[in-house]
Amino acid sequence: MIALKYSKCEEARFISHIDLLRHISRILLRADIPVRRSNGFNPHALVYFSPPLCLGATSFAEYLTIDTPMAADETMQKFNAAAQKGIRAVKAYQLDKNPNLQARIVAADYIYPYPFRDIDFSHTVISYTKKGEEVSEDASAKILGIQNADGALCVRLATGGVNLRPDRLLKTLEEEYGESASVTDIVKVRQFALEDGEYADVDRLLDKLALLP
Amino acid sequence: MTDFAGQFEKILPEVEKPGRYSGGEWNVPDMTSPARGDMCFCFPDLYEIGMSNLGVQILYETINNAEGFRAERCFAPALDLAAKLREEHIPLLSIETKKPIAEFTVVGFSIGFELLYTNVLYMMDLAGIPFRSADRREQDPIVIAGGPCSVNPSPFAPFFDAVVCGEGEFVDLELLRRVTKAREEGKRRAEILKDIADIEGVYVPSIKDRKVTKAVVRDFENAPYISRPLVPNIESVHDRATLELYRGCASGCRFCQAGFWYRPIRERSADRCRDLALDMLKSTGFGELSLCSLSTSDYTGLEELEQKLRPYCRERGITMALPSLRISSFKPDMAKDSRKSSLTFAPEAGTQRLRNVINKNVSEEEIDKIAVAFEAGYDSIKLYFMMGLPTETDEDIAGIAEICKRLKKLYWEKRGRRGLNISVSCAVFIPKPCTPFQWEKQIDLDEMKRRQLYLRGLLKEIKGVSFSWHGAETSVLEAALARGDERLADVIEDAYRAGACFDGWSEHFKWDVWQAAFEGRGLTFEQFTRERGIDEDLPWDFIDMGVDKKYFLKERERAYEGVVTRSCREGCNGCGALKMGRCTIL
Repeated sequence: MIALKYSKCEEARFISHIDLLRHISRILLRADIPVRRSNGFNPHALVYFSPPLCLGATSFAEYLTIDTPMAADETMQKFNAAAQKGIRAVKAYQLDKNPNLQARIVAADYIYPYPFRDIDFSHTVISYTKKGEEVSEDASAKILGIQNADGALCVRLATGGVNLRPDRLLKTLEEEYGESASVTDIVKVRQFALEDGEYADVDRLLDKLALLP
Repeated sequence: MTDFAGQFEKILPEVEKPGRYSGGEWNVPDMTSPARGDMCFCFPDLYEIGMSNLGVQILYETINNAEGFRAERCFAPALDLAAKLREEHIPLLSIETKKPIAEFTVVGFSIGFELLYTNVLYMMDLAGIPFRSADRREQDPIVIAGGPCSVNPSPFAPFFDAVVCGEGEFVDLELLRRVTKAREEGKRRAEILKDIADIEGVYVPSIKDRKVTKAVVRDFENAPYISRPLVPNIESVHDRATLELYRGCASGCRFCQAGFWYRPIRERSADRCRDLALDMLKSTGFGELSLCSLSTSDYTGLEELEQKLRPYCRERGITMALPSLRISSFKPDMAKDSRKSSLTFAPEAGTQRLRNVINKNVSEEEIDKIAVAFEAGYDSIKLYFMMGLPTETDEDIAGIAEICKRLKKLYWEKRGRRGLNISVSCAVFIPKPCTPFQWEKQIDLDEMKRRQLYLRGLLKEIKGVSFSWHGAETSVLEAALARGDERLADVIEDAYRAGACFDGWSEHFKWDVWQAAFEGRGLTFEQFTRERGIDEDLPWDFIDMGVDKKYFLKERERAYEGVVTRSCREGCNGCGALKMGRCTIL
């Protein structure tokens, strides 16, 4: 079992999550990475993903777990040789079982194209269109913190089961800064799982779970 | 030259499915080195339709493999993007390098069916290219058309500087070379068009009184094919590797344009097919391979090819799909490794009498063979029919319902009373050029609707049968455009200007706009859907299609006598296409 940390940027930003699943299976076939397949009526490759990334945003911290007997380094190298522009694995971890990141990831850090400012998000109501209808929602509980990332605004948002799409905060930030920005300017930099009530960077979690080579 | 790429990227997040336009697909060749001449393939429908088009991908790779030349792509943008482009004053751009379409050396439209004609104008409009060849300026690109509609280019001829009639594999590159060279020599448009007019298959509408011979790939075995298909960013309608086993068809169904247009029949060897298939699978990672042709079960090397591919596919969980099977050839092991979801067969007509008329050589006994599929585990059958065929009566339509009842009974005998789904799809017959039925009348709108209602009523009474049909109005329009002449160019342009666009999509089809466009030019649909006299000059007569007009007439007479014509595989019927190359099945 190999977990890959990969980035999704440039043209690949515009590939939706559902299409990404197909693209990853194709990368694995092109790379000739052997993947164990499920049993049953419609066998499929056993590949597991981290929660979906908002369409149009860049990410440097997506994760993918592949049920393969291949070694970590070789998997990563072959994956990158077969991956299309904008998708690139940067780290590989050898694991003994599926870390189930889809369920465990609860938060992610996003950098917005604004200079850092200590914004109070405790009463943030966002509005957006959902299925053609205008919806308003108190998003305060899903905004988990802010940081100064080398002068830029970095916001931690709930991700996964409880989720706040990063582009839905754009309107609030536009009002705050008086300047508009696009979803294509948002960058996801880290994802977190909960460990003993603390946010643990998924990289550290995988480091801990990884088998020694 | 303005760089629109940055501006374009800004509007992308605001449109539906931006993956349609972003580019960066796997297998797109490197486009950084300069090219002497370039061609943009414009496909007048959405990305997910166009990316499944084999012809465009073959030509794209052929040109990109040629030193000094480059091919890019552009698909019809959905209406939301078109509105944004207009708002921001961005012209239509190519996918690969985001270059304005109007700045290419050659712009080539692939036209697959008649209801795309307005979309051609839609794309020219967004690109800022004048609609009429006569109105283009020296700096405008040479705008050409190709694809299946080149059988009868007359209705759209005034919009193009040249039309490639037939198979483009060797034509497009040669045309691009000549245009590039002429441009380098500083030649003017009229001279450039003269330079390309003598390439076989090229029709230049501004040069009158010329016979045009359909372009044919003579050495199909070694003809260029796609070794590195582009992998679509978003799911496309045929999201798989597609291998063309052979071109042409031996069956000679009398309504089928492709069956005659792509003659002579040329097969690829099983070895060459295997090599091509493996190249495609390895270079794309597609999980499905489609073995494609007009009648796949007729391919001589089918079993050999399947055996050769099976180990590779099985090991990787790649499924093999066999579209266009003949009922009589179905064997349970044929679809052994594919998912048992649904089988599709096309009896085309409900009674033996009418099937003989159209030369669809499917007998009642053969239809009974679908029982083999039931035994093999299939629970779902799709059946394709046509209505409005020459000599058709209500009895023939009732025959469609009879076939459904019969299949249900067979299923009961094999599998029990529950579980069978039959979906019947019924199109309206459209008489097309380059077929024995090219003189036929199309039934009128009211009659179409009456027959559709009649069939619907009959099928409603059979449980487990669902029915879908084609819009009667779109069928009338398609028929009028298919056998139209140059008068229709004005109608098409008027219809586009009045809002007709994406006519093939029922949600966008505007019947009233088309009616007004015909009326406005003093024309009726009936003038184009009526029966043609056998002595009449037909708008496509100037194209030598290989198959003789006399042969079509003879076949038409045999149709009225209800006499079938044997498959070309049983012996040559003398259609005349042999003069265009060897028929490899003889």
